[in-house]
Amino acid sequence: MRPRTLQGRYARTAYLFLLPAILFFGAFFYLPIGNVVATSFRTGPQADRWTGLGNYAEALGDPAVRHSFLVTVAFAVLVVIGSIVLGLALAMALDQPLRGRVVFRVLLLVPYLTSVAIVGLLWRNILDPELGVLNRVLGALGLPEQQWLNTAPLLTIAGVTLWQSVGYTMVLFLAGLQGIPETYHEAARIDGADAWRRFWRITLPLLAPTTLFVSVMAVISGLQAFGQAYIITNGGPGDATDLSVFHIFNVAFRTRDFGYSSAQSVLLLVVIVAFTLVQLRAGRRGEVTY
Amino acid sequence: MRKALLHITLGLAALVTVVPLLYMVSLSLQTEAETLAADAVLVPDSPQWGNYAELFTRAPFGDFIVNSLVVAGVITLAHLVFDPLVGYVFAKFRFPLRNTLFVALLATLMVPFFVRMIPLYVLMANLGWLNTYQGLITPFLMDAFGIFLMRQFIQPIPDDLINAARIDGASELRIYRSVILPQTRPALAVLALFTFVFQWNEFLWPLVATTTPEMRTIPVGLTLFNQEYFTLWHLTAAGSVILFVPTAVLFVLTQRYFVRGIALTGLK
Repeated sequence: MRPRTLQGRYARTAYLFLLPAILFFGAFFYLPIGNVVATSFRTGPQADRWTGLGNYAEALGDPAVRHSFLVTVAFAVLVVIGSIVLGLALAMALDQPLRGRVVFRVLLLVPYLTSVAIVGLLWRNILDPELGVLNRVLGALGLPEQQWLNTAPLLTIAGVTLWQSVGYTMVLFLAGLQGIPETYHEAARIDGADAWRRFWRITLPLLAPTTLFVSVMAVISGLQAFGQAYIITNGGPGDATDLSVFHIFNVAFRTRDFGYSSAQSVLLLVVIVAFTLVQLRAGRRGEVTY
Repeated sequence: MRKALLHITLGLAALVTVVPLLYMVSLSLQTEAETLAADAVLVPDSPQWGNYAELFTRAPFGDFIVNSLVVAGVITLAHLVFDPLVGYVFAKFRFPLRNTLFVALLATLMVPFFVRMIPLYVLMANLGWLNTYQGLITPFLMDAFGIFLMRQFIQPIPDDLINAARIDGASELRIYRSVILPQTRPALAVLALFTFVFQWNEFLWPLVATTTPEMRTIPVGLTLFNQEYFTLWHLTAAGSVILFVPTAVLFVLTQRYFVRGIALTGLK
């Protein structure tokens, strides 16, 4: 922090300008966060009976809750791996001098700017075993038809999620690639390193901060996915795609158990924070630039 | 040879991206029978433009559109008013508790929406704001992302400009409006675009906070319409196209800003 030259006598102005923000973040962030924790210690239809850690104990012992956490983590892992592999591959393809680069970049970003409602409804139709167009296309190509949402439901909704988000990770990787000085590659080329070696020894290490950022963002958004389960699979078949936020939504708004659902929200937040911290620590150990 | 491979890779990726969206348009112009045919129809026999009109008779789709415009529009305006104001304070003022408040603001970035979902629902129920515009709008009036974006933009503005205006006797509000705001136009454009598009697409909160069809936004109205009439795929697709077109057009016209905005978030 460089010292600023504006004196403290303008503090009154600062507070006046900050007032709306203080009121807003107080009422719509800090009050709700306090309330979700307070509610998580209570039980009953009105969430007014004190139960201490009762909801937490129940949640940790509840097979349905444990299963939904496992499903959510698996889903997030699939999305992260896909984001990094596909996003980086597409970014490297786009990092070459090609005609129509801007057009590709725009096209691949379009799904990212559409609502999960569009993505979910469209893919539910395309993947439908009875009337879906995907099986017709596969049949025309001489490939066997698939019951995607029955045989590999979690993988399928992770794929749909990637279809929506890969353009975003591609743009992030592209920005990272464009920050690598061309001279590094030239020097390596002169030393006789082939493309494969240059990728592993130059591109990947120098992209580490971008990769870290992409994976943190993908984990955070993957762990709070909701629309995919709500719209495409309704958590099924069985409970195969019972993503945590979808599970919490049902406990809160269908069974109306605000205490139990609040405790699960807090637990999921702990999971998200834990994952983020682990990634940041791993990233710091692998830090190359700075 | 390598060029060809790159083109094929990108071409395939573009196809996988675009073809489903084109199929959505095709579905929206098919007859109900065509959408339910055992062999999926790729191109409708004769485009059924009437599907779009029918959608408005089957569901209060006009209401959905108005609600989406009002909610996303008001939230975007609120961001344009408040985010630069708060960003300015954290960029240019020193005052007691500044760092504490800054950390408190930073911390809100780490609060995913689902954490606020249940208490916000209870709060709105107590206020009688469920199923109202104020209930849909207020939780999103500003956010730390927008504030940080504006702060980054305002920081490089020379302090001398502000001091000179003070010596000239300009009021603090006048300085903000005439000296600071005009310099932030490019950032305001990015902020407005991102805010509008993401609010236009928002799904979870409008699903939780509305109780009657007339108050639903397009994403929620469309999804629940599909749950109710799950065989009317041609109408669901027509609604999807209506939801899709505004953001797609906006994006194609302003894609440079979007790409810059995304790259900005990734480069700390």
